Amino acid sequence: MTALPLGDQAIAYRRPLGERLAASLPAIIVSIVIGLIVLPPVAVLIRTSLLSDDGAQWTLAHYATLFSDPRLYVSAWNSVTFSALAMLLSLLNGGIVAWLVERTNVPFKPLAYLSAIISLGTPYIIYVSAWLYILGRAGPLNASYRALTGETGLLFNVYSIPGMVLIEGVLWSPLVFLLLSATFRRSNADMEEAARMSGASVFATVTRISLRLAMPAIAGLGIFVFIRNLEAFDVPVLIGTPSKISLLTTDIYQSMTQVPPQLGHASAFSMLMMVIVAVLLHFYGRISKKAERYASITGKGFRPRPFDLGKGRWLGAALIVLNALLVLVLPLLAILYNSLTPFVRAMNLAGLSNLTLDHYRAVFAQAHYVELALNTVIVAASAATVAVALTAIAAWMSVRRWPYSGLIDQLTSVPLVFPGIVLGVAMIEMALNAPIPVYGTLWVIGMAFVIRYLPYGMRYSHAGIIQVHRELEDAAGISGATRPTILRRVLLPLISPSLIAGWLFIFLIGAKELSIAVLLAGYNAKTISVAMFDQWTNGAGGEVSAMGVIWTCVMTIFSSALYWVTRQRTDMASAK
Amino acid sequence: MKSLWTRLCGLLCAAFLAVAFLAAAPAHAVEQALIDAAKKEGKVVWYVSLVENQLARPLAAAFEKKYPGIQVQIVPGTATDLVIKLLGETKAGQIRGDVHHGGSSVWPLAKAGAIEKYMPEAAKAYPPELKDPNGLWVADALYYLVAAVNTELVPAGSEPKTYQDLLDPKWKGKIAWTTQMTQGGAAGFIGTVLQAMGQEKGMAFLKQLAAQKLVNVPSNQRVVLDQVIAGEYPLALATFNYHSDISAAKGAPVKWLKLEPVTGTLDTAFLLKGPNPNAGKLFLEFILSEDGQKVVANAGYLPAHPAVQAKVAAQKPEGGNYKALLLSPELVESDLQKWISVYNELFK
Repeated sequence: MTALPLGDQAIAYRRPLGERLAASLPAIIVSIVIGLIVLPPVAVLIRTSLLSDDGAQWTLAHYATLFSDPRLYVSAWNSVTFSALAMLLSLLNGGIVAWLVERTNVPFKPLAYLSAIISLGTPYIIYVSAWLYILGRAGPLNASYRALTGETGLLFNVYSIPGMVLIEGVLWSPLVFLLLSATFRRSNADMEEAARMSGASVFATVTRISLRLAMPAIAGLGIFVFIRNLEAFDVPVLIGTPSKISLLTTDIYQSMTQVPPQLGHASAFSMLMMVIVAVLLHFYGRISKKAERYASITGKGFRPRPFDLGKGRWLGAALIVLNALLVLVLPLLAILYNSLTPFVRAMNLAGLSNLTLDHYRAVFAQAHYVELALNTVIVAASAATVAVALTAIAAWMSVRRWPYSGLIDQLTSVPLVFPGIVLGVAMIEMALNAPIPVYGTLWVIGMAFVIRYLPYGMRYSHAGIIQVHRELEDAAGISGATRPTILRRVLLPLISPSLIAGWLFIFLIGAKELSIAVLLAGYNAKTISVAMFDQWTNGAGGEVSAMGVIWTCVMTIFSSALYWVTRQRTDMASAK
Repeated sequence: MKSLWTRLCGLLCAAFLAVAFLAAAPAHAVEQALIDAAKKEGKVVWYVSLVENQLARPLAAAFEKKYPGIQVQIVPGTATDLVIKLLGETKAGQIRGDVHHGGSSVWPLAKAGAIEKYMPEAAKAYPPELKDPNGLWVADALYYLVAAVNTELVPAGSEPKTYQDLLDPKWKGKIAWTTQMTQGGAAGFIGTVLQAMGQEKGMAFLKQLAAQKLVNVPSNQRVVLDQVIAGEYPLALATFNYHSDISAAKGAPVKWLKLEPVTGTLDTAFLLKGPNPNAGKLFLEFILSEDGQKVVANAGYLPAHPAVQAKVAAQKPEGGNYKALLLSPELVESDLQKWISVYNELFK
């Protein structure tokens, strides 16, 4: 641990203290910076979980309630099943499409990117309700089933665990797609070429070489999505409650929506989640310890050659189209339909004959929405930039095992388990006690976004860096480059696809974030989701859908432009 | 003698006039003084759980028009959000809001010491059940929570007419309600039943109702009503009556029912210990005045001021000729947890 990571075998003598300090200082500083960002909310969380609801005395009651729930084991089992299945669906759907797009010669590649970006730009509330609308009792699926068969029942009951898995799985497919496509773009050509020259089929090459090389990235992503699903509130609550399926988060939701909210219960739950996450990350750490074995970007040319799928191309194309249907077309159609009907109604011919643009007129009549949209873009873009910059450095140190970098990965993963409302409460408290007057400004919202999305930034950066073999950095180091130069000239260009994908992801989900933005909103510091939520509680579902359609268009144009520009540049850089 | 009488009368008249003048002048002076002081502050920060475009902005605009030079700064949010915010601000000793509008937030905020007691002049016109005798709160809008049916799925005449009708086996698994644990949601429905029927009969009824397997919709009242309109469920409990009217006017197949007594709830307005106390008082006076309440009525809400008519008169009990049971903030404070535990025990 005392040696510099560069060429550690060669050095046998013990270095002087100053040098050792210089070697360990950067990682310590980064750990402290991340700690300062992440730990204060944890402190608030721990305190809330141990204080009685009136805040008067210390108590373990919240933990007692958590563990004394007779349905705890059923809920826990439901939660694990749901999280695991939804994770598998996301990995399969997002992963296969990512591989097809990046490593084969299938047609319709742009469609896959478009689906991911547009669906990430669509606000959750309307995305999930669109799915419920399609699959609900009165929705087009069950209605046409009844019309065709004359039955009175349901073909598919969406208010069930399979329904939950389907919607959550589809919801997080774009995350997997964006992350894995960055990984696959950089997978090792040498080994694949060697395998294929030795006569291996495409299938064998993929399963025995490509997949195994991508394994640390996939495993990390799997654990990440699993944790995300485990702590998800919206889908389990919206879909589970009507049919009384209880998950771990169901009760927490109720305690958070009461007036006044019972935050102790939610905080105790978050603490429990934090322990689970620590355990899962420990196992992930053991996988990624052997990361160098999987590094696929080495000193030799790494430009991978796409597989020729032959007639299989069309099967691949069909998969991309199916993915687009699931992730994009169906929900968007439902949202579009809802934005055009005067009131929420079943999708049928009678509805089609009575469409109106009233909701769009209502949206455009509100001039202050422009200001809100601008606020949103500024906050989300700044938060994404800070989070990605910070995690790129943090991930570099963590993957290369700099001295004293052991805690970095754990620290950045902590915010993953904060329920939005708990983080919001912590931010209010911190902002009010801050020496500079930031309370009620966009700064606080931006800061909260950085904290909340740090883990996501880490996943993207980590997956990118793990693929780059350190020999490239060592070569630069031996040629006299300093570490900042190595970072800037060698590493950043190589991992830029991951970083751009991460930036885009954080930007898009930050722009539609709800619970924190609504809680921290102040006069002059409101984002567009505050307005959407406001209209939503008012029941102006049509207007919210119209806003959603417009917002999705704006986000799509903005991020596609950005994506193509940066992609073109990295393509040129890597083609050299 | 006559002159004495005349003089006496004159004196009395003079005295009366003087008293009248003395009585009138300070009242007028206070108001002018309040306006002046409010103008000096120049703004009022309003924490408000009303829908911003629909009512909060129109009210603010009407106030700014009447008192130019005083800006209303709207901080929107759900009742829960605003309570969290204010509790945090109170704890840190820096309350940023001047006036608050919210339903059940009075008591948590009163306990935390965030409320500045103040009995507005305008509240004199309000009946005692719509204001706190100690000046903690005054009602600024009323709500009536009713059952609603999809008229395509439930033919006219076959809809339930009393609470007992809800127990008809044909409704099994077909009644939806919101899981909101407030006086406006499932908890309020349970509270109304217990208040109206008494503890014993009420619980017996609720147990039978639970056997009907109500569908818990984890969203607000409006979303539940939308699901009724879309045909997901034929019947819903605890929806706002004016929502049904608004949608029905656009052609939606929905109708609200008067199962008596209907749940009545109120939104409250009150003064916070904020940085602009005078502008706060002036704005509170305005919200509760006839002018302010007319803005409330024009936005489609039900005004609390007894002299201001609702836009659709039939939505208020007097106009619609139905009985309502008002769940006052005091009752909610003392009984809400009990209602929630009944929900958890029977319906969850």
